[in-house]
Amino acid sequence: MLLACRHITLKYAGSEKYVLKNFGFEIDGPGFHALFGPSGVGKTSLARILIGSISDYDGEIVKRRIQSILYSYNMERLPGWSNVGTHLDRITPSAKRDLKDEMVNAFGLASFCSQRFSQLSLGQKNRINLIRYLVQDFQVLIMDESLANVDEITREKILLTIKDLFPDRCFFYISHNVLEVSKFCEHIVVIRDANKQPQAHLIKGQNFSNGHPLDKNAYEKTMLEIMNAS
Amino acid sequence: MLHRRVLQFLIIYTLGLTLLLVVKYLLNLSDYVIPSPESLINTSQQVFSRYFGDVMDTLLVAIIGQVVSICLAVLVGVLGRQTTWFGSFIKVAAYNVQAYPIVAIAPIIFILLGDGFMSRLLIAAMICYFPLLLSILGIMSEPVVDVEHFYRITGRIRWQLEIKIRAFENIHKLTTVVSGSATLAMAGTIVAEFMAANAGIGYSIRIALYQSDLSRIIVALFLIGISLSVYQGLLEFSGSWVKKTWASA
Repeated sequence: MLLACRHITLKYAGSEKYVLKNFGFEIDGPGFHALFGPSGVGKTSLARILIGSISDYDGEIVKRRIQSILYSYNMERLPGWSNVGTHLDRITPSAKRDLKDEMVNAFGLASFCSQRFSQLSLGQKNRINLIRYLVQDFQVLIMDESLANVDEITREKILLTIKDLFPDRCFFYISHNVLEVSKFCEHIVVIRDANKQPQAHLIKGQNFSNGHPLDKNAYEKTMLEIMNAS
Repeated sequence: MLHRRVLQFLIIYTLGLTLLLVVKYLLNLSDYVIPSPESLINTSQQVFSRYFGDVMDTLLVAIIGQVVSICLAVLVGVLGRQTTWFGSFIKVAAYNVQAYPIVAIAPIIFILLGDGFMSRLLIAAMICYFPLLLSILGIMSEPVVDVEHFYRITGRIRWQLEIKIRAFENIHKLTTVVSGSATLAMAGTIVAEFMAANAGIGYSIRIALYQSDLSRIIVALFLIGISLSVYQGLLEFSGSWVKKTWASA
């Protein structure tokens, strides 16, 4: 077991509504997993619990072999006082410079490094932001709609690159795209409204990656399972 | 920016002066109550150079007082931005102290320090300090979450970086606050001179008031307004230059 959430219950101060109620799931090891569910069911709250920015909850988080959990989201901005290339250079540890360059190329951003963050499109911003997290030391990275506004072909390329480059890390990909999570994720934690119990269902995804063919029937079955569970 | 400030002042000054003259001629008031345009021109020829020197004297005190206030407000604002008990203490103290009319303390300053340069400087600094402090505290205490999150979660955040991010993101607000505080510093200095000092345009206005010479006061107001407009315009220009230079570094 790598990470387990057990009986997590969360209600924000001043609110009568539970965000998470007796919520739980368990992930055995590294891989590309998803947190899936409609808006407002507590995906971001769960992410904030995992990184420790929410501590006022009941239940237990068990982490094994995890020193660092990072959380990136799609509204983040880079400081405006330097261009994105300079910024990436500054925050990339020297041992990971090559990795950074590889990702900049794979994510289709090589020609934008001389620009300011504010000059980029939303999709480019999200890709740059994701790269700066990927070059940090982490065991778990939560990607909260980190590839929003990126076209499907580029998104697929990015997801496959991440899976190739980081097979020993654990990712939680927060997305509303059932096709995407069914195809690329190893496990999908389907989160439902707190009034429904159990609030979470763990569904096995197709974990599609380079060199592994996609079983279309199994893929469709996964999507149906997710839709039924949510 | 600069010319806009000056133009705005000239429009307002002309409107004010026109209103006075309209009242004068409508109510048939004597030149003793509201001076005629000829009297205004004569007075301005007589006192212009002396009043200009007085305004420069006042403006110099106001600028030094404002610089002192800015330095102090930045220092206290940076310390008070923290969510520690010390930061909370500074914030509460600043909010409570600023509620007191600082100008009421001015007589004590004159009694203790006399009617010289220091009293004027201190009153100017005190009057523009608290509004500056509240604004800088507000800016420095407000996290720029979308930018700071990465540094915070990766353990890279340092107080210097935090301040740099917040200052950069709020440079326009800071420029506006600093520019606005110039008016307060000037007002503080004039009030101090008006009360008890022996130099500056406030002192000259006080003498003109005792002589009931409205034309001199109108000339003084013109010089105060035009000098302040130029100074504020230069501050705004400096602010936009800093932003432009910083953003293209």
